[in-house]
Amino acid sequence: MRIEAKNLNYTYSPKAKDFSVRALKNVNLTIEEGDFFAIVGHTGSGKSTFVQHINGLIKVQKGSGELTVGEFDLTDKKCDFKSLRAKTGMVFQYPEYQLFAETVRDDVAFGLKNFFPNLSEKEREEKVKKAIELVGLDYKRIKDRSPFEFSGGQKRRIAIAGVLVSEPEVLILDEPAAGLDPQGKKDFLSLLKKVHGSFVKTIVIVSHDMNLVSEYCNRAAVFSNGGIYKVGSPKEIFSDAAAVEGLGLELPVTAYLENELKKAGVEISSDLTEEDFINNAAKVLIKKGDNA
Amino acid sequence: MKDVTFGQYYPAKSFVHNMDPRIKILATIAYIVGVFLVTPFHFLGFAACLIFVAVVTAVAKVPFLRVLKSIKAILFIVLFSAVLQIFFNRQGNVLTEFWVIKITDYGLLNAGYITARITLIVLGASLLTLTTSPVELADGIESLMYPLKFIKFPVHEFALIMSIALRFIPTLLGETDRIIKAQKARGANFESGNIFKRAKALIPVLIPLLISSFRRADELADAMDARCYGGSKQRTRYKKLKITYRDIIGAVVVAGLIVGVVFLNKFYVVLAV
Amino acid sequence: MPIITAENVNFSYDKKRNVIKNLSLCVNRGEYLAVIGHNGSGKSTLARLFNALILPDSGKITVDGFSSDDKKSLFEIRKRVGVVFQNPDNQLVASIVEDDVAFGPENLGVNRAEIGERIDYALKAVGMENFRKSSPERLSGGQKQRIAIAGVLALKPEVIILDESTAMLDPKGRKEVLSVVKKLNEEEKTTVITVTHYMDEVVFADRVIVLNEGKIAMEGTPEEIFASSDELEKLGLETPLASRIAKKLKEKGVDIKGEIFTEKDLAEALCALKRKI
Repeated sequence: MRIEAKNLNYTYSPKAKDFSVRALKNVNLTIEEGDFFAIVGHTGSGKSTFVQHINGLIKVQKGSGELTVGEFDLTDKKCDFKSLRAKTGMVFQYPEYQLFAETVRDDVAFGLKNFFPNLSEKEREEKVKKAIELVGLDYKRIKDRSPFEFSGGQKRRIAIAGVLVSEPEVLILDEPAAGLDPQGKKDFLSLLKKVHGSFVKTIVIVSHDMNLVSEYCNRAAVFSNGGIYKVGSPKEIFSDAAAVEGLGLELPVTAYLENELKKAGVEISSDLTEEDFINNAAKVLIKKGDNA
Repeated sequence: MKDVTFGQYYPAKSFVHNMDPRIKILATIAYIVGVFLVTPFHFLGFAACLIFVAVVTAVAKVPFLRVLKSIKAILFIVLFSAVLQIFFNRQGNVLTEFWVIKITDYGLLNAGYITARITLIVLGASLLTLTTSPVELADGIESLMYPLKFIKFPVHEFALIMSIALRFIPTLLGETDRIIKAQKARGANFESGNIFKRAKALIPVLIPLLISSFRRADELADAMDARCYGGSKQRTRYKKLKITYRDIIGAVVVAGLIVGVVFLNKFYVVLAV
Repeated sequence: MPIITAENVNFSYDKKRNVIKNLSLCVNRGEYLAVIGHNGSGKSTLARLFNALILPDSGKITVDGFSSDDKKSLFEIRKRVGVVFQNPDNQLVASIVEDDVAFGPENLGVNRAEIGERIDYALKAVGMENFRKSSPERLSGGQKQRIAIAGVLALKPEVIILDESTAMLDPKGRKEVLSVVKKLNEEEKTTVITVTHYMDEVVFADRVIVLNEGKIAMEGTPEEIFASSDELEKLGLETPLASRIAKKLKEKGVDIKGEIFTEKDLAEALCALKRKI
């Protein structure tokens, strides 16, 4: 599903003149099917408001632009938000805090029961099992246990299984690695890499972690004060180091190094992933060394 | 949820806003007593109270509509008691009669009297909450409760509970909003179905909210302990309320109102039965 | 003389599994100590032990001469060791900044005039003096954490423990908090213990302790700790990204000189390489 916003605007408390805040200003953005898309920007830049539009948690205000997600027209009053939400899974920050059911199985099945009430018990069980195994947990061992018994990282996996279970085409994640320790973060990101392309088609990720953006995402949009500053590949986004830092964002380590070396007269042209940077840097720096 | 302006506080810089919360609380109580002092059908006393409310509203720079809106909450009670009086009060001269219903002049007057009383009380009380922030109110109540210490009432603990509750209301509202959204994203429906279905739909919100409240309470308790809560028998208070000329003027005006009401009670000019 | 000493400390929450196992440790006055470890390694428990929020099952913790054995010295310990916790929302008690900062001194029965002075000092130290009458609700995460630090500073502590205090903040908030803490350590000589798993925060520390299963697994300067990246990885941790890139470049044959901890180090090393050519 293609996500397309045209001149999207949003104002919080539009009626209260003194308190109203323009959270989105003329946002034009297309996220293609298959993208691993990053949405970055300082706190309060409008990124959360934007992603919550995608699955209709925030409704498009009247006369505030257009938004389509696949075949869904979100400005249409008759838009079927239930089907839309089944196809656009959303994982909020600290998703483990939304767990509520008595057993892991019931919690993961919650979305399924809401979206597809006509599934047979057996079909449901199959899907729940698949989702739990997808996030790397042992279905048989954990299905009847309380979700609250598990460690923070495991709870987060259970919560994500509860979103993946309805087999969304688009997976939206808000700061998904927050609070995880290095190992937990590594495991989590490899999980995302695994599901992208095979299980969900498109991933949209909101993050402050620029290293994550350059490492995993093929495209990104930079939000600033409710508007879009730039859309493009990480390479395109981070090429103007001064501008990125001016927006209150950090550079990925690879982009920082490329930029510093460029100032010193060495051009390394990687796609900013760690591996590509190391290969290119080694090539450039060793060759020059040999010449000396 | 972000639109909730808690406790209807209307922030502004005015004479009334700057008054000591204790005096405002006492003045509100005095005003309510004043409204009760108006003897039946001496509507001049009510007029005095209404003028008082209007003047205070103007001085406080609060929009009149904001004050009037406070009646909305009690509209049903007012209408209900008024209707009861009009249709079912049998005292006085019958004006008109049909089926089991007799409308009497006394019933009409009583309806007006009750309506005026309730409305004026609510208007006055809402002026207090409109011009006094919840924090100031809590400070005022704490200070006014101070004498209760002598009967071993835990005034300080009570004040701290109020203050923490106020502090966490916006946090918990934000949290509720987040959980509702997260469950909506998983297909939860809070808007349709009968009352039982809706109540059941709230479980996936209430349980996470409860768990997170306990977690917060736990962490807050740790943070308070870490900052030496209970570290001295003689806990001091940094905040001190101060009575200024404004408070004296305010007190005099309210006292004037009560004297006025009592005085107006002596006049039988209006609608004597 | 060390400000905190722990001798053979054991602690368990459930009386079954020890979270801290026979741990002995000294924290020196004025030191910047980093305690790292994966989630569940016992590092937050250690922070709570140092502040006497919890007491050892066996063994002893002494803070500035006051022993955790003695119930009467509980508040003497808490007065000296302030803790800033992870969630900025769950440690502020009042709806106005100055009232919150006043909370600690009020608890100790400090007189009004002095509380006022302490609020001035604490808010200034964290650069929040213009927010004295604000409501914390309207502040950013980083600003809230700075208020939490001010609330601790108002107790005039010898030691400040940051218990994953930056974990919930955005990069800007993290920077704000870290620069305040660094300044306190350098200028006021406050002892700082930072409990974290952000490896780039460890770089500032004088000494690093790596906890694993309630025991000290590694100890040393950041240089020494980061030198053994394989061992760190086994403990569920990792060296900063710049050091990892440097290591891989070296493996490829790039001749990087010196220790690399930050991206700045690496940039300099790589540029130096170019200059040599």
